[in-house]
Amino acid sequence: MTFWIRWPLTMLCSIVSVCSAAAPHVPASGAVRAEHLADVVGLARAIDRRIGAGLKDRGVTPAPRADDYEFARRVYLDLTGRIPKTSEVRAFLDDRSPDKRSRLVERLLRSPNYVTHFTYQWRSLLVGNSTNQQVQFLNPQIENWARSRVRDNVPYDRIVRELLTVPVVAGRGMTPTSNSAAVFYQINELKPDMLAAATSRLFLGVKLECAQCHDHPFANWTRKQFWEYTAFFGGIKPQSVVAGVFSPATDNPNVREIAIGDTNKKVQAKFLDGSEPNWKPDVSTRETLAEWMTRPDNPFFARAVANRMWEHFFGVGLVDPVDDFRDENPASHPELVDELAKGFVASNFDLKFLIRAIIATETYQRTSQMTHPTQEDLRSFARMPLKGLTPEQVFDSLATAVGYRGDTGDLTRRFGVQSARNEIQSRFTNPVDRRTEVQTSILQALSLMNGKFVADATSLDRSETLLAVIDSPFMNTKDKLDTLYLAALSRPMRESEASRLLPYVTTGGPSRDSRKALADVFWVLLNSSEFILNH
Amino acid sequence: MLSRRDWMRLSAVGVVGTCLSGWFERLANAAAPHPARKRACILLWMNGGPSQMDTFDLKPGHANGGPFKEIATRSPGLKISEHLPNLAKFGDKLAVVRSMTTKEADHGRGAFLMRTGYAPTGPIQYPPLGAIVSHELGRSDSALPSSVSIAPYRFFSPAAYGPGFLGPRHAPLVVGDAAQFIGQPGMNADYTQALKVQDIDLPADIDKEHADFRLDLLVEMEREFITRYPGTASMSHKTAYERAVRLMKTDARKAFNLEEEKDSVRDAYGRNLFGQGCLLARRLVERGVPFVEVSLGGINGNGFGWDTHTNNFDQVKALSGVLDPAWGSLMTDLKDRGLLDSTLIVWMGEFGRTPKINPGRGRDHWPNSWTTVLAGGGIKGGQAYGSTSDDGMSVRDKPVTVPDFMATVVKALGIDPDKQLNSNVGRPIRIADKGGKAIEEVVG
Repeated sequence: MTFWIRWPLTMLCSIVSVCSAAAPHVPASGAVRAEHLADVVGLARAIDRRIGAGLKDRGVTPAPRADDYEFARRVYLDLTGRIPKTSEVRAFLDDRSPDKRSRLVERLLRSPNYVTHFTYQWRSLLVGNSTNQQVQFLNPQIENWARSRVRDNVPYDRIVRELLTVPVVAGRGMTPTSNSAAVFYQINELKPDMLAAATSRLFLGVKLECAQCHDHPFANWTRKQFWEYTAFFGGIKPQSVVAGVFSPATDNPNVREIAIGDTNKKVQAKFLDGSEPNWKPDVSTRETLAEWMTRPDNPFFARAVANRMWEHFFGVGLVDPVDDFRDENPASHPELVDELAKGFVASNFDLKFLIRAIIATETYQRTSQMTHPTQEDLRSFARMPLKGLTPEQVFDSLATAVGYRGDTGDLTRRFGVQSARNEIQSRFTNPVDRRTEVQTSILQALSLMNGKFVADATSLDRSETLLAVIDSPFMNTKDKLDTLYLAALSRPMRESEASRLLPYVTTGGPSRDSRKALADVFWVLLNSSEFILNH
Repeated sequence: MLSRRDWMRLSAVGVVGTCLSGWFERLANAAAPHPARKRACILLWMNGGPSQMDTFDLKPGHANGGPFKEIATRSPGLKISEHLPNLAKFGDKLAVVRSMTTKEADHGRGAFLMRTGYAPTGPIQYPPLGAIVSHELGRSDSALPSSVSIAPYRFFSPAAYGPGFLGPRHAPLVVGDAAQFIGQPGMNADYTQALKVQDIDLPADIDKEHADFRLDLLVEMEREFITRYPGTASMSHKTAYERAVRLMKTDARKAFNLEEEKDSVRDAYGRNLFGQGCLLARRLVERGVPFVEVSLGGINGNGFGWDTHTNNFDQVKALSGVLDPAWGSLMTDLKDRGLLDSTLIVWMGEFGRTPKINPGRGRDHWPNSWTTVLAGGGIKGGQAYGSTSDDGMSVRDKPVTVPDFMATVVKALGIDPDKQLNSNVGRPIRIADKGGKAIEEVVG
C-alpha cells in the first residue's frame, strides 16, 4: 500500500520559503524580513521589486502609470463594484494633494459599497454564481453572514475558523434571514466529500476532488489523502429518506474517520501536509482541522488567500487558476507569493491590509493600455490586464452611468424577484473562470443595443439624467459630450473622438436634432467595450 | 477558452471596414446556404424525466405496466405507446435505447449529467451537448448562431444550459425564455411572439437609418479601443456585436418568423409552445444551424410536466398528445426536405421513472433502467437497443452508461468522442468521459 503515500515533497519544498531552491531568485539585497512586509509601503515595495525583477529578466518594457481617470475608474470598480459617478471623478481630479490616490482608497474602504461588493465576492466564492433555485433561496443567508464579517473587517483566519467550526445541525430550520456560516454546509449538501473538496479548494488552494475517485495522473494527491482530509467532516451526515422514513441531518463532533467512497475501508483523519492531528479532549474534529488550517505557519493557507486577492485586482493569479497550487502549475513569481503570505500573516490576517498594499504598488497603478509589444503576456504584469465585470458590476455600473432611480436593492437573485437588476444580472452571468478572458454573448449585445434598460436611459422622453445634461444651460456641446463620457467611461472625450463627435452632434446626426445626437453618443458609450470592461 | 488560432480566424472574419457598409456588406453572403452541409442535432428535452414505461418501453400485462397499449411501428418488432401514432410511422428511423442506466436521481444533477455527459463535480464547467456541437460544427461567419435553445426550463441546473468552459461564443441563443409560463391563467398564448429573439427589434423611437448611424459611431469607438487594448475581451465584444447586428439586419432573423409558415403546417405541429418550437427548430436546421434544442416541460405552464409523481397516466397521455404531432411533423418535414439523413434527433430527459406505480397513480425518479431515443441521421433506425427486465426494474442486457450515450450521440454527428477539449481547470476534458464507447449497433 505504499504507493498511496506519495506526499508531494517537492511541492512543500517550493512553497516553504526557507527552502534553498528559492534562493537563486532572491537578489542579494532582497531578503525581505517579515516586519518589513508587515506595513503597507514595505509590502508594496516588495511586490514592485519582484514584478520589476521579472520584467527585467524577460526584457519586458512596463506600461506607464495610469492617469487619474483610469485609476479612479479601476479602483471604484475593484473596491466598490461600480464605476464612479461623474461628481466623484471630478472631485478626485480636483484634489491636488500628493497622496490623493491612497486617500481615495481609504475613503472607499470605509464606504458601504465596499461592504456590498466584497460581500458579493464572498458569496460568489462560497456559492458560485449559481442560479440554482435552492441556492438562490440560501443566498441571502450567506450574504447576511458575510456582510457583517466584511463590515467589521474580521481577520481572515477567524472567518475561516468560524466557517469550519460552525454547528451544522443547530442551524436547521433556518430562514433566509438567518445569519450563519452553516449555510455553506447546506450548499455542499452536508456531504463530507463535497465539503472536503470545497474547503481545500477555497482555503488551501488545492484541488483535491480529482483524487476523490482515483489517484490523479496530473496531481500529487492520492485518493487516500483525499479521504483522510475528508474524514475531518466525517461526523456530518445529510438528511435522508430511507423507505419513507425521514432522518434529519446529524453532526457528531467526535468522529475522526470515514469510509473511502463506496467501500468499507476506513481511513483516519490526517492533515494535508501528512502530519497526524494532536487530538485533545473537548476539541472537536472540525476544530482540530481549523486550528491546523489557520496556523500562521500553514504552508497553504495564507498563500492561497494572498493569491486570490491578487487575482481580484489583476484578473489573473500569480498561481493561476487560483485554486490549483501544485508543482506542475508554478507561480509566475514564486517568491512574491511567499512574501504576500508572510506580510498577510504578520498583519494578523487583515484583508484590508493586503488590499491597501496591492493598490499602493506601481504594478497595480500601471495603465492597461498596451504600450509596447513585449507586454502581451498578462502574467508578467507589465500592464493592468483587461478584466470582465461581474454581473453585479454590470448592473451597478449601468445604474450609476444612467442615474437609475429604480430599485437597486443589493440582495440579489432573490428567489422569484423580477427586477431590472435580476434581468441584467442573469443576462450578464458569464461562467468563465478567468475574468481576463471574458466574452460577450449575442444576447448580451442585443440587450445593450435594444433592451429596455439602455433604451430608456438613452431616450429623450424617459431619461432624466440625459435630459439634465442635454438641457443644461451652462454647458456647450463639448462640455455636454465630456459629461456623458465622464458618466459612462469616467474620462473626458479625446481629441480624436471630439473631431468625430462634435460635427455629428452639431449637425444633429440623421435626425438633424442635436439633442437626439447626444443621446446617440450616450448609447454608443454604454455599448462600448470600454464601458463593459474594467481596465 | 479560445485558442489563438480560433481568434485569428475570428478576427479575420470580423475585420471592420472603414464605414458601416464594411460591417454589413458581407452579411448577404453569410446568409447564403453553405455548400458543404454538415450534420445537425435537434435535442428534444423532456423536462422532469419522462416515463419510459408509458412511452417507449411498455410492459403490457405486468402490474408495473399501467393502462397504455403498445402499437406496432413501421419497423417490425419495434413497438411503442399507442399515444405516439405519428411517430410510429417513422419506426424505421428510430433507435430506442431501452437500457440506459445512470446514477443521478435529482433533477438538477440528473439534468447536468445527461446534458453534459458528466456528473457535476467541483469547479469544472463541463459544456453541454449544445455547446460541444456549436464548438465542433458551428461556423463563426454564419448569420445565425450555432446553438439555439427553445423554451428551456433552466432552474434545475442553470449550468447545464450555458456554454460551460467553451465560453459565451458557444452559449445558446435562447428564445421563448419565459414562455413556459404561457398557458397559466392570465397569460396570453402568443407563441409566435414568444419564440422571437429577445431585444432583436430596434427600440420604437429608433429607425433603421438612425440605428446605422449609431452603429457607425460604435464601430469607430471599438476600432480605437482594440488598438489601444488588444486582447480576448475586447475582441470578443466586437465579435458579439457583429454577430448580433448580422442577426438583426439580415434575412437570417426571418428564421424566427413562424408567420411565414402555412396555417396547415403550423396546425400539424400543434399550436402549443413545443409544437411551434419544433417548427422553429426545423426552420433553423434548414438554414444551417447545427444545434437546436426544444424543451417539452409542461403543457399547462408548470415547467416540468414529465415529473409525474401523481396521476402519471393522464399527464403522460396529455404530454404524448403534444409530443407526437410535433415530433412526427418534424420527421415528415425533414424527410421531405432531404434533411433527415443529416439531422440527428435526440429524445431524452434527466432520468426515467419508477416502474412501480405509487399509491398516487404516479411514478417517481428512476435512473436505474430507462430509455432514450435517437432518430434520423447518422444512426441505424428500426431497432430497440438493450432491454429491461419484465418488471422494468433493471437492465437485462447491453447496459448503456452516460459516457456510452454521449459517445454515440456525438459520433452520429461525425464528432470524435475521444477528442479532448481545453477546460477551465488547465487540463483537457474528453467529449465523452473515459470508458465511453459509441454503441456499434446504433452508429456502427
